[in-house]
Amino acid sequence: MPTVSSVTLTGRLLLLLLWAAHLAMATNWLSLARLSRSRPVSGAEPCGRLRGLSPGQVGVCRARGEVMESVRKASEMVIEECQHQFRNRRWNCSTTPRGINVFGRVMNQGTREAAFVHALSSAAVAVAVTRGCSRGELERCGCDRKVRGVSPEGFQWSGCSDNLSYGVAFSQTFVDEPERAKGMSSGRPLMNIHNNEAGRKAILHNMQVECKCHGVSGSCELRTCWKVMPPFRRVGAVLKERFDGATEVRLTRVGSRTALLPRDPQVKPPATRDLVYLAPSPDFCRLDPDNGIPGTAGRRCNGTSRLAPDGCELLCCGPGFRAGRAEVVQRCSCKFSWCCSVRCQQCKNTVLIHTCRE
Amino acid sequence: MKSLASLSLWRIIILILPLVSLGQTFEYGWPDNYDKPPQCVDIPVDLRLCQGVGYHQMLLPNLLEHESMAEVKQQAGSWVPLLHKNCDPGTQLLLCSLFAPVCMERPIYPCRRLCENVRDGCSPIMAAFGFPWPHILTCDKFPQDDMCINTPNDTSTSEPNGHPPVCPPCDNEMKMDVILDHMCASEFAIKTKIQEVKRENMDRKVTLQKKKRTIKMGTLKKKDLKKLTLYLKNGADCPCTQLDNTRNTYLIMGRKVDKQYLLTGIHKWDKSNREFKKTMKKLKSHKCPAYENVFK
Repeated sequence: MPTVSSVTLTGRLLLLLLWAAHLAMATNWLSLARLSRSRPVSGAEPCGRLRGLSPGQVGVCRARGEVMESVRKASEMVIEECQHQFRNRRWNCSTTPRGINVFGRVMNQGTREAAFVHALSSAAVAVAVTRGCSRGELERCGCDRKVRGVSPEGFQWSGCSDNLSYGVAFSQTFVDEPERAKGMSSGRPLMNIHNNEAGRKAILHNMQVECKCHGVSGSCELRTCWKVMPPFRRVGAVLKERFDGATEVRLTRVGSRTALLPRDPQVKPPATRDLVYLAPSPDFCRLDPDNGIPGTAGRRCNGTSRLAPDGCELLCCGPGFRAGRAEVVQRCSCKFSWCCSVRCQQCKNTVLIHTCRE
Repeated sequence: MKSLASLSLWRIIILILPLVSLGQTFEYGWPDNYDKPPQCVDIPVDLRLCQGVGYHQMLLPNLLEHESMAEVKQQAGSWVPLLHKNCDPGTQLLLCSLFAPVCMERPIYPCRRLCENVRDGCSPIMAAFGFPWPHILTCDKFPQDDMCINTPNDTSTSEPNGHPPVCPPCDNEMKMDVILDHMCASEFAIKTKIQEVKRENMDRKVTLQKKKRTIKMGTLKKKDLKKLTLYLKNGADCPCTQLDNTRNTYLIMGRKVDKQYLLTGIHKWDKSNREFKKTMKKLKSHKCPAYENVFK
C-alpha cells in the first residue's frame, strides 16, 4: 500500500513539472537562431525535433513549412536588434550559454524586459514574413495589389507594396499561439498577447511611402510610389521608447471578464500600442546564472556622463568602476583611388576606457 | 607598493577596422533596409551610357535604387543624348557612378565638386530641352571628402572655356546613334518645312508649314499637329543654320512641356546623305526603351 501511494505521488509531480516547463515556452522559438544553417526548419519530422516550439507552433511548422525560414530569420533579428537597443543598459539582452530560453528566466517573470522582447519578437516575425512576400520567396503571398491607382497627391501607386497584412496574420498565428494555449484568464498570457500586438502596431503605425521618379532624364513627370515597412531598426527604436514608458498593470476582474489595468489607479489604461508589464525588474547588478543575469562587472561604461544610462555610476550600480588607458589603432584619412580601390592610413589614438569593477 | 600598483596604467592596443567619419554628415554604409544585398554584375554591353567609363563591373541595385538591370537600362537611356553634347568632361563619370556604381565593399558616391561641375556645364543644355536638373542628382547630398569619385585628372582650377554659344537642338551630330537617341528622348517627330521664325522674349518661335508627315506621333494629336508651333527654348540668339533656311525640308523632333511644344532636334531631310538615309531606314525597326515594362 505505501509503495502504491509513492508511485502515484511521483507521477503527479512529474506531470506538474512538465506543465511548468510548458509555461516557459512563450519566446523559446527564438532558439531557432541557435540552430546551424544546415538544420532544416520545415518538414514533419524536423518540425517535431525543434525543441523551442510549442505543440501548436510545431503544427504551424508542419502546415506552413515554407514560412519557417522567415521565422528563423526573425529570431536572429530579435537578438541582434535587442542587443543594439539595450547596448547601454545594465541588461543588454545577453544570451544564455545554451538551451531554448535564449534570454534566460527574465523572460518568464512578467518584467518590462519581457514585454519588450515579446513585442520585438512578434514584430520581427511580421517583418520577416512580409519581406519574404515582397521578395517572392513565399509562394502563397506576394505584393499588396490593393494599393493601386492614382493617389490624391497625384502620383501613381505601383510597384511592390509590402503585404503587411499577411505577415501580421502569420505573426498572430505563430507567436500568439503559446499564449492562447494557456487560456486567456491569467495575467501572463494577457500581458504577452497585448505586447505582441503592440509590436505589430509599431510596424503598422510607421509604414512609409517610397517613390521613384522615372520620367525622362530622371524627371518626376512619371512618379511611382509604393508602401514599405520601416527599417527594423526603426521598429526597435519605437519599441524601446514604449519600453521606457511601459505601464505596470495587474489582473483585475471587470464584470465577468478579466483585464489588465494599471496598478496605480491614477495612471490611464494602456493603449493598444503601449507596452505593459506585471512585475518589477531586478536591478541586474550582480551575477545570477540561475536567472541568466550576467551582471555588469567588467562592462565598459561612460565615464564622462553621470545621467546617461551607460554612465558609470548607474551602469556599475555605484562607485565601483575604474579608468584605464588604451591605445586604439583606427583607419583614417581614407581615399578612393581611381579605379578602383580605397586606401586608408592607420592612426593611433590613446583613449580613456572606463569599466565596471569585477 | 599597493598604492603604486593601483596607480599604474595599462595599455591595450585595439585594432578597429571600421571607417572613422568624424564630423562628416554623409553616411557611409548600406542603408538599414531589407532589400537584397547589392550584387556585383558585369556592365552589360547594351548599357550604352556607361561603355568605356573605366571599369567593367557594377553594383545592382545601383545607387539610384534601380533594382533590375531592365530598370537601369531604361532610365539610363534618356541620359545618353546628354553625353553626346559633351557639356562637361565628367558627365559620364557622374552619371555612371550612380547608374552603374563601382563594386566596392561600401558604396562610393560621386564627389560634390564633380556633380557641381557637371550640373553647371550641362543644366543650361538640359533646360533648352525643357528638363530641370533632376532631384536624383542634387549635388548637396554628395560627399566632399576624399572617399568619393572625382575625375581622374581633376583640375581644381577650372578655367572658363571660350566655347561659342550653341543651340542644343541644332548642333546634333548627323549620326545614326545620336539621332535615334534624340528620337527616343523626344515625344514626337515630323517631316515638314519651316514657314516662319520669330523672336519671342528669350525664345525663338518656329511656325511650321501646313503640310506635315508624322514620323513619330507620340502624345501629339491630329488637331494639335495642324497648327503646331515650336519654341527654341532660351535660343533667341544662338546660331542655328537650319532655322535660317526655310526652303529645306527638315526632320523636326519635339516634346511638350506644360502648354508649350519645345524643339528638341532638327535635321535637314537630306536623302543624298548616306548617314541620314541609313537612319531613316533603321528608324522603322528601332525600338525605344519603354517605361511601362519596368513597373508591372
